[in-house]
Amino acid sequence: MVTTLVLVMVIFLLLGFPMMIPLVLGPLVLAIFFLPQDPYIMTQQMIGGISSEVLFAVPLFIFAADIMTSGRTSERLLDFVGAFVGHLRGGYAITTAAACTLFGSISGSTQATVVAIGKPMRERLLRVGYKDSTALALIINASDVALLIPPSIGFIIYALFANASVGQLFLAGIGPGVLVFLCFAGYAYIHARVFDIPLADKVLWKNRLNITWKALFPLGFPVIIVGGIYGGVFTPIEAAGISVLYALILELLIFRSMSIFRIPSIALSTGLVTSAVFILVASGQAFAWAINVAGLPQMIVDTFFGGDPTALYVLFMVAIFFFIGCMFVDPIVVIMILTPIFVPVAEQAGVDPIHMGVVVVFQAALGSATPPFGVDIFTASAVFNRSYLDVIRGTPPFIIIMVIVSILVIVFEEISLFYRYLPF
Amino acid sequence: GGNGDEEAGDDDGDNGDDGAEVEHEWDFITEETPGQVQHEYGLEFAERLEEKSEGSIEVNVHEFGGLGDEVDQLEQLQTGQVEMGIVSPGFTGPIVPEAQVFSLHYLFPNDQETVQEILTESEAINEHLRSNYEEQGFTPLSFWTEGAMAWTSNTELTSPDDFDGFLMRTQESPLMLESYEAYGANPTPMSWGDLYTGLEQGQVEGQENPIFFIEDASFHEVQDYLIISDHNNYVATTSVNNDWFDSLDEDLQEMIEETVEEMQDVAFELQEELNESHLEEIEENEEYPTEVIELSEEERDEFRELAEPVREFFREEEGDDAGMILDMLEEEIEEMS
Amino acid sequence: MNGIKAIGASIVKVLRFLDRLLMRTEEFILSFAIIIIFIMVSGNALSRYLLGTSWAFSSEIALWCVYFATFMGVSYVARQGRHLTMSAFFDIAPYPIRKTLAILIPFGTALVLFVLTYYSIEYVVSQYETGRTTTALRMPYWWVVAPVPVGLFLGGLQFIRNMIVNLVNKDVYIATEQKDRQRGELEEEMPKI
Ligand code: NA
Ligand code: NA
Repeated sequence: MVTTLVLVMVIFLLLGFPMMIPLVLGPLVLAIFFLPQDPYIMTQQMIGGISSEVLFAVPLFIFAADIMTSGRTSERLLDFVGAFVGHLRGGYAITTAAACTLFGSISGSTQATVVAIGKPMRERLLRVGYKDSTALALIINASDVALLIPPSIGFIIYALFANASVGQLFLAGIGPGVLVFLCFAGYAYIHARVFDIPLADKVLWKNRLNITWKALFPLGFPVIIVGGIYGGVFTPIEAAGISVLYALILELLIFRSMSIFRIPSIALSTGLVTSAVFILVASGQAFAWAINVAGLPQMIVDTFFGGDPTALYVLFMVAIFFFIGCMFVDPIVVIMILTPIFVPVAEQAGVDPIHMGVVVVFQAALGSATPPFGVDIFTASAVFNRSYLDVIRGTPPFIIIMVIVSILVIVFEEISLFYRYLPF
Repeated sequence: GGNGDEEAGDDDGDNGDDGAEVEHEWDFITEETPGQVQHEYGLEFAERLEEKSEGSIEVNVHEFGGLGDEVDQLEQLQTGQVEMGIVSPGFTGPIVPEAQVFSLHYLFPNDQETVQEILTESEAINEHLRSNYEEQGFTPLSFWTEGAMAWTSNTELTSPDDFDGFLMRTQESPLMLESYEAYGANPTPMSWGDLYTGLEQGQVEGQENPIFFIEDASFHEVQDYLIISDHNNYVATTSVNNDWFDSLDEDLQEMIEETVEEMQDVAFELQEELNESHLEEIEENEEYPTEVIELSEEERDEFRELAEPVREFFREEEGDDAGMILDMLEEEIEEMS
Repeated sequence: MNGIKAIGASIVKVLRFLDRLLMRTEEFILSFAIIIIFIMVSGNALSRYLLGTSWAFSSEIALWCVYFATFMGVSYVARQGRHLTMSAFFDIAPYPIRKTLAILIPFGTALVLFVLTYYSIEYVVSQYETGRTTTALRMPYWWVVAPVPVGLFLGGLQFIRNMIVNLVNKDVYIATEQKDRQRGELEEEMPKI
């Protein structure tokens, strides 16, 4: 039954049906003909899939980015970045990776990061000579690393189900997160060398000052978001709302680059992208529900964890199943469904729960940027209006890097648990 | 959803020890994860029913998240998608507003044993409040406590003055907001998923929960004080879907009711053990030290005085029967404590 | 003959008017859903920070807007041909196959959406029957979820139109408002329906 479900899904997907169809069709057929539950639970689950407050950040950051790119803010911010890194080998790409990693850790949403950083940075990457596929792949993969950098909702959910310490998990995520960022930065440098991405002239300090002056108001944007969240003034979701407010103040009152009557049409384009992405988040939840009710997770445990598995075996299997799960469904949903199933097995095999948490969240990060289904791929495809293939074409190098790092993280627990070896 | 204990159940079947065929397979939902009170309750309840029926009843206990969130689960119980489970008033608030009576501060006595006794014996609860539930498609066969609520904070909260301007996290319920406004706090609704980070970064300064949940969700890691305030109790109900329960043979109904009754003591011990061991873990945690403060009776009185007027808000806002149920309950509490 | 033609023409006119009206409504809902989410989230933050009081209703309203945007958007997104697809095979297929798919895909999609609409109505009715209300505003919950069947149904209708456009025109259309790019540049002219 499960095989049929997956097969139907892949065929409908490849034929070119809107992606919500392969996601809901299987669960719908299951619900109508096979499951004891009333099929209208599908609707309940779809609504449930988009009922999280965390999701507010997505349309809000899209809205803010739309306003800033229609006006002057984003241009001035990027001029500022360019003045300092444009002359360095791979400078823009490394900056993009760093910005995505940092911003993602703060906003708590990989999708919001794809929009907020990706939208302005992609344009600049294209202008200096990067291929679009590389730019898009860099953006979606670097955004995902944010799940590893605290604060991360992934760790919080895992902690409750595994009864582990959130504080220790936050610490343990830093090592792997930084390692992935360094690998991406290294790759960006080599890529820029190999493809000979042209370097801008070094900007004189006199001009740098001038550009910085012009970017003064736009620079308030990161200050307000980062300072506001870490200073405890607002939550990451509220910061998304405040960033829209700030963008409006800059463009309407200070730069006077647009009239207030343009706002509804900008909001419309934000709404279009939001709907295209959220309907898939909703459908993914219905899919997760059907898989769970059909008993697939329990089948996995029974099939693959009989006997007396070693800790390393358990960790690799956990990695594989979380990776596969997150290829289809929102990572947070996967963590909620699979964690309680794997925790007893891992405990028995003597796996450190903190180490396991890092492996789990790492796979969640990797999975959401990996085809066929991945919320970040959807988001990038909708936001940049690029076809699905365009978005994933450049991802293989990044995925290979992620897979290698993920094997290292599994085998060497020191990468995650480094803090236990520190003298203080 | 599945768990290790279900596996054990399957093994029994494979070995054919009990011989009997499974005639009834029921789903039992909980709002908590394995190891927490509700889930442990569910497993014990399932085992007792299986034993009594000599293996002809199988109860699948689901942890939180397996079949959707608490509100999804509640709907499934209302419509009969699942047969029974544990639901708490925090999530039935909008459909059974009268159940918000459990959110009132300092209505019940401090002593948990007395609380459990009142929950078990009270006519206001087990007849009148129960009939408010019945109108919604499901019936609570029992009410029981999962422990008293405690506050956590980075400052000492020992008098209402300490709440002045304090950013207190609550759920979205107007009554809970009202309760903390009465102390002069700024109650701030926030989902629990954001709460750890919110406490760490200071978007909210404190929160309330039963002790076992505080430890499980690691809130003590980002807070300096745990205040044992006993301002109210986390009350759970063991509920059944009406249509399903009515369709059962009488002897099955009796068997379930009897088991639910037995479970009152089991539940009490479960929560006591769990809350005590988790409190110990919080106290002994050297990596994230937390000072535990227990409010004195005089300190409680200060809060009690300010909490009293909120009962008027409850009478007026929380459903037609709110006033009647509260009056009766107040009398019963007076008698029993 | 002329009379019949004239009646036919005015029917088309009325239909086109209704269609534009529907499109404007969809645009209005999408756009204002986003604006209200913004007002709720930032307003709540400012109110708490400046006045010390939170809006208990803010996330309830914002969530409602998310439902509106997501489900009422299905039709508008379909109209614009912006639903996410894996179009690799479609893009390289020769004309006859592409044309067939351009008819079958919207048809199949509409069918699934209509079935979902049916169950969504059942769901809304079940919510109506329980009398459930929201926590902060005590709004009937069935209002909150009513956009779901409406949006899915309008989405289904739009996909039927996308199918008809491909039946009556020779070119391949991704959506009524968007012609397939593979067959040359996008033409200014709107498809006939
Ligand atoms: Na993926
Ligand atoms: Na602490």
